[in-house]
Amino acid sequence: MSHPPQPPHDQQPYGQAPYGQSPHDQPTQPGFAVPMPTQLDFTVPLPAAPDSSGPAVYDAHSLPVDDNVNPYAFSVDLNGSYFLQKGKMIAYYGDITFQGVGAGVLDRVLGQHFNSPMHAADWVVAQGRGKLLLADRAFDLNSYDLDDGNLTVRSGNLLAFDPALRLKQSIIPGFLTLLGTGKFVAASNGPVHFVEPPVRVDPQALVGWADCPAPCHHYDHEYLHGVIGGLRRLTGLGGASGEEHQFEFIGAGQVLLQSTEVLMAERPVGQVDAEAGVPVGGVPPQPGAGHGGGPGGGSPQVPGLGNLGDLGRRFGL
Amino acid sequence: MAQFRLQGSRVLAVELAGDAVKARNGSMVAYTGQMAFKKLTGGGDGLRGMVTRRLTGEQMAVMEVKGQGTCYFADKATEINLVRLTGETLYVEADNLLCTEAGLRTGTTFTGLNGVSSGNGLFTTKVEGHGWAAVTSNGPAIVLRVGKDMPLRVDPGAYVAHTGSLHRSLKSGAGWTTVIGEGGGEAVQVEFTGEGLVYVQPSEKRTPGGDV
Repeated sequence: MSHPPQPPHDQQPYGQAPYGQSPHDQPTQPGFAVPMPTQLDFTVPLPAAPDSSGPAVYDAHSLPVDDNVNPYAFSVDLNGSYFLQKGKMIAYYGDITFQGVGAGVLDRVLGQHFNSPMHAADWVVAQGRGKLLLADRAFDLNSYDLDDGNLTVRSGNLLAFDPALRLKQSIIPGFLTLLGTGKFVAASNGPVHFVEPPVRVDPQALVGWADCPAPCHHYDHEYLHGVIGGLRRLTGLGGASGEEHQFEFIGAGQVLLQSTEVLMAERPVGQVDAEAGVPVGGVPPQPGAGHGGGPGGGSPQVPGLGNLGDLGRRFGL
Repeated sequence: MAQFRLQGSRVLAVELAGDAVKARNGSMVAYTGQMAFKKLTGGGDGLRGMVTRRLTGEQMAVMEVKGQGTCYFADKATEINLVRLTGETLYVEADNLLCTEAGLRTGTTFTGLNGVSSGNGLFTTKVEGHGWAAVTSNGPAIVLRVGKDMPLRVDPGAYVAHTGSLHRSLKSGAGWTTVIGEGGGEAVQVEFTGEGLVYVQPSEKRTPGGDV
C-alpha cells in the first residue's frame, strides 16, 4: 500500500499532488494492503513549523513511529528485531546492536525469515530497543504494509523489512519476493507511483509488483519488423528510441514504478543451483547488466574469508 | 544585518545592505544589486587560521561577499539548512558549511582521535557567535536532540553538524564477523552524549569504515 512519504511539514518536494488522491493511486486489492492514515500517525505534537523557529527538532520520543521523517528518511520504532540492508542506518537512539545475518545465535532467525539463504550476507539484523533512522543515499523511501500478501521488488530497492515478513528469492532474476503480513521499506529514485494492470512499463522504471502474475517481455513488434526499424536495430544506424522493449503486466494487482529511469544499483541476490527446470540456474547474476550506471554493481563485500567462492553467501554466514 | 532565507530548499538567498557574509568560494549562483566578491585566503580566519587549516587539512575556500541587494548561493543542488546561532558553537564539516554571517567567527577545532576512522578527519570547523549560518546536506537534514539519558549514535557518513555541549566518542560495533567480511555494516558509530542538537543527512558519505 502506498504509504505516502509526507514530510512533517507541508512542503511538497516535487511540486506534485500528494499520493493517494486519485482512485488509481489507491491499491484496492484486499489481500495486498491496508490504507493507513499516515498523516495522523503522530502521537506527539509535531515540532515547530520550519519557518517559524527553525527546523523541526526530533528526539527519541518525537520521532515518528514506523513512519517517514521526511521523504528520504524512515524512523523505525524498534522493539525486537528488524532486518535491513547493510549500511543503511544513519542514526539511532537507544540500545541497538547490528549483526550480520547468520552470525551465531541468529542462525535460527535466518532459517525463519530467509528461506533462500544465498543472499543473506547482505542483510543485517538490528536488535534492541529504540528509534532507528534509515536512509539510502537521499533516495525516496516508502514503507508498505503487506496484509497476508505478496510483493516482488527489485533487489537493490528493498531497504528493510519487518521480521514478520518472509523474504524469498524471486524466480525472476534480480528480484526478491516478500510474503506475509508486515511492513517493509523500499527505496526508489523519485517517488513511487502505483498503476494497475494491464500496463506496459519501461524496464528501468519498474520497482516491483504486488499480487499480479509475473511480467512478460513485450517488444514493439510492428516497429522492429518494419524495414527501417529492423535495420536500425540490427545496425544501430540512426539510433533506437529506447522504448522498443517493455515489461507487460496483466491480471489484477499493482505495479510500482519509480519516477526516473535511473536504476538503483543491483544487489546480488545469490546464485541459484543448476537444476533442470530452474531458469538461469547455475548462472551467476550479472552485476552491471542493465545498470543505470551505478558503480556499486557487483559484490559490495570487503575482501575477506567470507567471499571465498561465495561460500559464505551460500551458507548464509 | 544580513537576512538569510531559503529560496526553495536548495538555494540560499541573502539580503545584504552594505554588510558582508562569508561564503564558500564559487557558490554564488546569482545576485541582484551591487556585489563585490573577494577571495579570503586560508578560510578567512587570518594568518593563524590559515596555517591551522593547512596543517589540519580542514581547508575551506571562502570568499567575502559585500554589497547591496540579494545574493543567491547554492552548492551542487544539496539541501540547505539554516542554523541560527545565539552565542553557542556550531561544529560542522568544512565541506558542509556554505555561508556564514560576517559576525560569526570560524575556526578549526580538534575533535579527537575518533575522526580518523570516520573519515571526517581529526579536525572540524567551528562557527561561533551570533547570527545565521547555512549548512548543506545531501537530502534535507534531520535535527536530532541529544539529552540526558538520551544519547544518540550516528553513522559517521551521515553526520553533518552539531551544536551544544556534546561529547562525541567512537563506538565500535565490529566483532569477529567483521574480520571475515560478514559484519553488521555498522562497524563504526559516533556516540553523542550531553545536551545539544545533531544534524544528520539521509545519505552516507563514503567513509573508510562504511563498508565494513
